[in-house]
Amino acid sequence: MDKREKSNELFIANKELAFQNEEKLKRAAELAIANKELVFQNTEKEKRAAELIIANKELVFQNEEKEKRAAELLIANKELLFQKEEKKKRTFEIVHANKEVDELEKRVKERTEDLESFSYSVSHDLRAPLRAINGYANILDEDYGTLLDAEGKRLLGKVRSNAKKMGMLIDDLLTFSRLGRKGISMLSVDINELTETVLSEINQTTTHHAEIKFSNLLPAIGDYNLLQHVFTNLLSNAIKYSSKKEKPVIQIKSERKNGMLIYAISDNGVGFNMQYVHKLFGVFQRLHSDEEFSGTGVGLAIVHRIIKNHDGKVWGQGKEDQGATFFFSLPDRDLKNRNSVIQ
Amino acid sequence: MENNTVDILLIHDNMNDAELTLRALRKGNINYSFTHLKNGVEGLEFLFGTGKFEGRNTSNKPKVILLDLKMQKVDGLQVLTQIKASELTKSIPVVVLTSSKEHPDIDRAYALGANSYIVKPVEFNEFSAVVADLGIYWLLKDQTRV
Repeated sequence: MDKREKSNELFIANKELAFQNEEKLKRAAELAIANKELVFQNTEKEKRAAELIIANKELVFQNEEKEKRAAELLIANKELLFQKEEKKKRTFEIVHANKEVDELEKRVKERTEDLESFSYSVSHDLRAPLRAINGYANILDEDYGTLLDAEGKRLLGKVRSNAKKMGMLIDDLLTFSRLGRKGISMLSVDINELTETVLSEINQTTTHHAEIKFSNLLPAIGDYNLLQHVFTNLLSNAIKYSSKKEKPVIQIKSERKNGMLIYAISDNGVGFNMQYVHKLFGVFQRLHSDEEFSGTGVGLAIVHRIIKNHDGKVWGQGKEDQGATFFFSLPDRDLKNRNSVIQ
Repeated sequence: MENNTVDILLIHDNMNDAELTLRALRKGNINYSFTHLKNGVEGLEFLFGTGKFEGRNTSNKPKVILLDLKMQKVDGLQVLTQIKASELTKSIPVVVLTSSKEHPDIDRAYALGANSYIVKPVEFNEFSAVVADLGIYWLLKDQTRV
């Protein structure tokens, strides 16, 4: 082979080498890029893995929470079931209790009817023989009085006064028992006018020398007739129990206090021992004998019941031989708001 | 006696009350005549000339009737109803006698046409006075009208 050929071949070989070198460099550059890519992907993978671990942990936690919730729900369900049963029981109990209330109401109604017919027979049947006792004793006195000596007349007088007393007892007892059933009509009552009326009635039936002082008494909301009963009782008592004093003085006062109207009736009479104050308002309870002061022992019980029915209170203060004061309170109602009529 | 003038007719089935009432009436009104009938049936028979009083001259009317409300068999309200339902008797004043002024029968008696009522108290003197006064009141009222 000749030189030219040789150099030609070398030239070609060189070109080839240069090309191959270039290719190598290209590959190397590509590899470098691929390497970088790999490194990046590796980093990404690691990141993902870390994230997955966190996500897994989260899942585990959520699972635990779910289980907890499920357990709680189970308990709540049981509780609900229990409450349902309790409700059923309660409903049954209420139905039962309601039946009992109905039954009781029926019995109370029956008893009330019994009491009413009892009152009727008391008023009618017991009074008829009393009237006869009194009437015939009176005839005996009128027609045969001249045949009786002083002792005979005294005994006859005893028969009559006791028959009369029993009549009063029956009347008072009837009044007392009726009060429980009567409805109360709430109206504005001028207590000054009511006191005047009561006093003029008392003056017609009783002779007394008491000085009675009152002025500007506060008006009340209540049942006129029932309040009249209260004032009649309290004033008659004050007059009666001060009647043995030389100068009996009776005072009526009124004041407003803590949403209540308070009325006070005081006298300077025989008073009473506070030891027995609890007995004052009981039926047939008396702190004085009939010989000292006559009475049936029902008056203050009537007052107590009337005031109680008016949502008020009654109380007494006294000292032996130094007079007594009886107080009663009534709610200071506004007549405009008197929609609640007490039954 | 059945055809004699009767000023005051008492219809009452309690003999004690009746005796005491008549005594109270007589005490104050000597000039008047009184008749007591022992129960509601007798009272009606007397007023309408039936039964025991068959043939009585019924135009001979009492001037006032005192009528007890509580009587056996035919009670005061029933008697009152019949008195006020009949042309013959409805103008006769009727005063009802009762044991208690609170009694619901009083309202019913007024509704049926009773003219007055007397509460029979235990105290006889009180009773006498009231009976005598009321008896007289209705007697006089009747006379002035005639």
